[in-house]
Amino acid sequence: MDTLVQALINGIAVGGFLTLMVLGFSIIWGVMGVINFAHGEFIMVGAYMAWYARSEWGVEPLYSALPIFLIMFVVGFVLQKLVVNKVIDRPHLVSLLVMFAVSIIMSNSVKLIAGADFRRVNSDIQRGFWELGDIATIPRKHTVVLVVAIIVLVALQTFLQKTRLGKSIRAAAQNREAAQIVGIDIKWVYAFTFALCIGITAMSGALTSTIIPVFPFMGPPWALRAFVITALSGLGSVKGTLGAAMFLGLLESLVATYAPGSSGSQLAVITAFGLLVVTLVLRPQGLFGGLRPVDAGGH
Amino acid sequence: MRKRLRLALALFMAFGLVAAACGSDATDVVDSAGEAVADAAESAQDTVEDVAEDAADVATDDGAEDDAMAEEGADTIVGTIKIGAALSETGKFSVEGKDSRQGYDTWAKWVNEEYGGIQLPDGRYEVEIIYYDDESDADTAANLVQRLIDEDGVEFLLGPYSSGLTTGASAISEAADVIMVEGNGTSDSMFERDFQNLFLVATVASDYTKSGIEAFAAKGAKTAVVAYEDTSFPTAVANGAIKHLEDNGIEVLAVETYPKDPTDLSPIISKFRELEPDIFIGGGHYIDAVLFTNAADDVGFAPDGMLITVGPSNPKLIDELGDSVEGVVGPTQWEPTMAYSGEWLGSAQDFATRYESYWGEAPVYQAASAAASGLALHIAIEQAGTTDTAAVRDALRAMNVDTFYGPIGFDDRGVNTSKPMGTVQVQDGAINVVAPDGAAIADFSYPRGN
Repeated sequence: MDTLVQALINGIAVGGFLTLMVLGFSIIWGVMGVINFAHGEFIMVGAYMAWYARSEWGVEPLYSALPIFLIMFVVGFVLQKLVVNKVIDRPHLVSLLVMFAVSIIMSNSVKLIAGADFRRVNSDIQRGFWELGDIATIPRKHTVVLVVAIIVLVALQTFLQKTRLGKSIRAAAQNREAAQIVGIDIKWVYAFTFALCIGITAMSGALTSTIIPVFPFMGPPWALRAFVITALSGLGSVKGTLGAAMFLGLLESLVATYAPGSSGSQLAVITAFGLLVVTLVLRPQGLFGGLRPVDAGGH
Repeated sequence: MRKRLRLALALFMAFGLVAAACGSDATDVVDSAGEAVADAAESAQDTVEDVAEDAADVATDDGAEDDAMAEEGADTIVGTIKIGAALSETGKFSVEGKDSRQGYDTWAKWVNEEYGGIQLPDGRYEVEIIYYDDESDADTAANLVQRLIDEDGVEFLLGPYSSGLTTGASAISEAADVIMVEGNGTSDSMFERDFQNLFLVATVASDYTKSGIEAFAAKGAKTAVVAYEDTSFPTAVANGAIKHLEDNGIEVLAVETYPKDPTDLSPIISKFRELEPDIFIGGGHYIDAVLFTNAADDVGFAPDGMLITVGPSNPKLIDELGDSVEGVVGPTQWEPTMAYSGEWLGSAQDFATRYESYWGEAPVYQAASAAASGLALHIAIEQAGTTDTAAVRDALRAMNVDTFYGPIGFDDRGVNTSKPMGTVQVQDGAINVVAPDGAAIADFSYPRGN
């Protein structure tokens, strides 16, 4: 029983952390049809900013997360206007290659500036654990991230459902031409969406910098995970991202805990990717139904 | 149309016949050229021997004055020895890759600027190391080693970082009959391939944890858990650790493996917490040490002893993790406080001082291992008196020297079996050698924090 409770707690903790990290990737893909290959690098940049704020000024990542969101929002807006907007009308592969190049530029630039060393961001708030009686422990780091993830999800969902701009974003995702016909400024919608997602992604990097080691080349595994979760959840679905991330977190935790022998963690990875194959073959719109199917073409 | 086809066929056959005839001619030419080369080499050898004999006669006849002149002649730089290395500047091993490169460069800088170049009978030779970034990828490292041999024409190789990368890279150098001396790829399996050209100055992976586990056993540890990344080097260390645990009467409660590039080890550590072991042994690389410590902090796993393969001997880990690594134990190939010295590069402490003056930071053992690899190659070339592969290989096999890094003497596999492995413990933020007894500078603290 204790082991099961701990496995569930670990799974939910990882799920929350994955949700926050993947959300931006999923929405950019869903709304704009751009596969952001530099997603992991935006996480990395957010994590470095949090590390700098903590080591130079002693600011907790929880507090630096909002300024980092705002700075990266602006960066994302500019990047979209100068680069992404120019290639968005071309096939998927072009934007994918452009973002791939951006990812290489980003990781090597950070290496030049900050060096290749691994960093860990120490935090007093996000340190240690709460004991759940004698049954299990709840890690504080993950809990903080989970709480922030839920706040971001609720805010984002409300924004997309209730506001005019949110509705425009959904309309643009569903049918670009129709959205333009009814007077939606598609370029502005895209720029805002990209900026918002880059901001969220960098913020997730800031908060998770206390959990994962920070280094210039930390990005690619996270971009890969984002890809898996987005394909499982369905593109651009806020609720779907939460569902798929939680599902993946719990699955990995339970398999790692209960698989016989010494290779539980490896089986967990195999299970996750096996599930991806099955989903893409049988249910390309994702387990939770997104804004568009994975195989929708470019604009 | 048919006519044209026939014409084409006839032309093709005629071309084939001519080519075949040329081919046989060419073979003859090559054969005779080969003979000519052999003849020339023989006569050249005779000439060299004659000259050497004459020179020896002259030297014996004319005494000290000529000795001095010969020495002066031998002191001038007459050439360059090209050495190649693929190292990780980017990717997972970028930290260790940088340390290794600084180690190689420390040796090369010292050879060129202070030692005066490698001494051969015809004069001194500067060292040039050509580096490429292998991006922490085994295939890239192997390709780059091939490129170093084929395109850059290096005469010797120094190893990349990690066993995974060295395994493939050394297969390329073995096939090309180029010697590779290395200090940072220590998996036992690499030395079970009967390679003739691979030499390791460091202690082999299976013995990494030996002195540490003996120290735990002496303090009364009874149970242990082991987790390691399922790749070449961590597997070799962990298998060695399991054997040493059993040899020392410590029960292994659980063994867990995880895939390459882990991002969170909490599930494994949570599982271990339930087992309440006396000691935890974690095998991996630097990043795994960060993840193990993070996970232990997150789930409240605090065994009496923690031994982590790579990391505790690196001051950067203490800078980054602070209190979390207090009392953690780790193996070390080398520490500046160890009482080793030799006629090249001085003592362990001298090496550390020199390294710090070059790079502005204290050397970690990966850097010392790298420098020692260069030094072993250097000594072998001087002892062989030539850069000929067979002669240098023989000199390496016969080597028995004391250096700043410890004694160096290779067994039949090419492994340095003369040097024991040390164990360090993080104590009040300092890295102290606690085992084996001969090298220890502080008492082993067990349980952690006592």
